[in-house]
Amino acid sequence: MNEFFESISKSFTKTFITDDRWLQLLKGLGVTLEITFFATLIGIAVGFLIAIIRSTHDMTLGNKKCRKFSDYILKFLNFICNIYITVIRGTPAVIQLMIMYYVIFASSRNGIFSAILSFGLNSGAYVAEIVRSGIMSIDKGQSEASRSLGLNYTQTMIWVIIPQAIKNILPALGNEFIVLLKETSIAGYVALQDLTYVGNLIRSRTYEAFFPLIVVALIYLILVLILSALLKKLERRLRSNEH
Amino acid sequence: MKKLLSVILVGAILTTSSLMLSSCGTGGTDTGNSTASTTQETKKIATKDDLKGAKIGVQMGTTGDIYASDYEEEGSVIERFNKGADAVLALSQGKVDCVIIDNEPAKAFVEQNEGLKILEEPFEKEEYAVAIAKDNSELTTNFNKALAELKKDGTVQKIIDNYIGDDTKGKSPYTTPDGTDTSKGELHMATNAAFEPYEYKEGGEIVGIDAMIAQAVCDKMGYKLVIDDMDFDSIITAVTTGKADFGMAGMTVTDERKEAVNFTDSYTTATQVMIVKE
Repeated sequence: MNEFFESISKSFTKTFITDDRWLQLLKGLGVTLEITFFATLIGIAVGFLIAIIRSTHDMTLGNKKCRKFSDYILKFLNFICNIYITVIRGTPAVIQLMIMYYVIFASSRNGIFSAILSFGLNSGAYVAEIVRSGIMSIDKGQSEASRSLGLNYTQTMIWVIIPQAIKNILPALGNEFIVLLKETSIAGYVALQDLTYVGNLIRSRTYEAFFPLIVVALIYLILVLILSALLKKLERRLRSNEH
Repeated sequence: MKKLLSVILVGAILTTSSLMLSSCGTGGTDTGNSTASTTQETKKIATKDDLKGAKIGVQMGTTGDIYASDYEEEGSVIERFNKGADAVLALSQGKVDCVIIDNEPAKAFVEQNEGLKILEEPFEKEEYAVAIAKDNSELTTNFNKALAELKKDGTVQKIIDNYIGDDTKGKSPYTTPDGTDTSKGELHMATNAAFEPYEYKEGGEIVGIDAMIAQAVCDKMGYKLVIDDMDFDSIITAVTTGKADFGMAGMTVTDERKEAVNFTDSYTTATQVMIVKE
């Protein structure tokens, strides 16, 4: 029994204390959070933009013919957005990351920028579809009512449709952000020192699998728990006016 | 609530655009460590002393990685890739300043990529050996015995000559002798088949010096050889957890590795070299 604890404490020391490896893990956590945070922002910005273009197209043009010049622009933008969503959703994130790092930004020495952009654009495609489903879920009467009260299309979108849509899509959005957080674990493919990478690095030095893998898994789990708790709070807050 | 949401949205868009601007303008400052700014510039490397403060590409868990990591304290940034080939690709794109890797694979990489060269100054000589789990000393003994016989009758040298040396390449391939008995079952070998000429894929099959020596040893001992391809940094764990019987992947004997596994006698030597852009 004593021997068992001794070997556990020995491998614990090797995994965390030697060479300040806990510090490396902490740094890795920082990189993971950094990538996730900025990628989320890009994802939200891109996602909302595309969702608005796509749903505006669906609601105003649909299958109708283009009459004005602006109709043609909208149709074109919708076409571009469709291609973007198809390509991003149709290819694995690892491949997108490698393309971003080795092909698009081939001459850049800043891997973290390629990763943020790649994860952000990846997330954007999924956020776009989630937001679009939210916008489409709002009853047509809502926009008709607000138009008849004198709000124009943009005002209707910003003050009536999107606030209600966000409430509906929050669980799905939260889901997407959790997926994004965990997906950043592939950043090691382009030699970024994120949490998973540091775990692998420690494994490659100590030749022990248990502690590095379990601890990295636990850290991700804790991050996701915090994230879901925050989202739950936000959800409750948004529902507080429904009585 | 509406105001709050719009503020968040505007904030998000502003942050994103400013991030993009700053990253494009200065080559990015968001890596959060002070050495990043110095390594954004490419550094020309001619000797080992130039490694200080440079961006070094390696394959994770290799001896090159261990050597390079010593320079981390002196301000170098180590980029560890899953494959040596990825590190070399990053080098030819200027993402790293040099790559530290074993000399024979280095030759293979330089041959295939124009504009790269190997520096004259090598690191210390090191010994390649086979890793076997500590609780399997019987296999270590038998392996050593078979290896010694193969060294004696010249098989090992023939296999090495078949892959290294311009005059001898491809002239003495190893073939399993007829009537070899494989009744003892299978032996699993863990390797990373992206390390020419030691182990690499040719037409879907894993070949190379290590693969052939392993084949010869297994033939001698009466086992059937099964090769499992995996990441280099997983090989020793695969051996210690019993997923593979032995690990053979151009693996250098180091003290740290000796704590985890037993090594057989060495079957060849190699050195680490630096590859740089011409």
